[in-house]
Amino acid sequence: MTRVTDDIIIRAVSRIMIPFIQLYALYVIMHGHHSPGGGFQGGVILGASFILYLITHGIADTKIRMSELKAGLLSSFGLLIYSGIGLLCLILGSNFLDYGRLSVILKVIPAQARSLGILGVEIGVGITVMAVMFSIFFDISTGGIVPEDEGD
Amino acid sequence: MGLFVLVLLCLYRGVFGPGVLNRIAAISAIGTKTLIILLLMGFIYHRVEMFVDISMVYALLNFIGTVTVAKYLEMSGEI
Repeated sequence: MTRVTDDIIIRAVSRIMIPFIQLYALYVIMHGHHSPGGGFQGGVILGASFILYLITHGIADTKIRMSELKAGLLSSFGLLIYSGIGLLCLILGSNFLDYGRLSVILKVIPAQARSLGILGVEIGVGITVMAVMFSIFFDISTGGIVPEDEGD
Repeated sequence: MGLFVLVLLCLYRGVFGPGVLNRIAAISAIGTKTLIILLLMGFIYHRVEMFVDISMVYALLNFIGTVTVAKYLEMSGEI
């Protein structure tokens, strides 16, 4: 599953499409307030771009950009963003994930603070979902056995 | 309405089709028809800008799924 494919069409199409897929995923995450989408959906699209890269370009090229260690660290980092924003609201004397209190720190009106807070939470969720999707596919396709050829 | 009939025809080919390649082609065609049906639903509900996003994601996942199944068949050596 993770061998390098020798089909020129698949390689060229995926090389052209992957930047647009990632740009679209970022649009889905950032524009999740007033259109379908949000953190989870954008994270799934972002993870799908990495999965497409792993399928078409092989495991050696993918490890440069996204390895399993990096995916684990990124999933923890996204969860840290999510719960950090929630705990920050809790410390400021409000409910968990009640973004209105963030206006004290951000020096904006509470409505704008709500918008910014939910954007931060969605970015955290997106990073976590992307890393977990990639990690699941990586584990299933390699069977947990990573060939230790060149590199490392 | 014609699209639904075409989806049913593709579903017949996907269920009873001889061989794996016919099934993959039928599933991919069903995905493309579903995309068009989603856009037409957007025109019916006057919310095209919402449904365009969903249909783009559908096309993307359809493409990635087809490539993945083809790679799996190549790896398992059935073709």
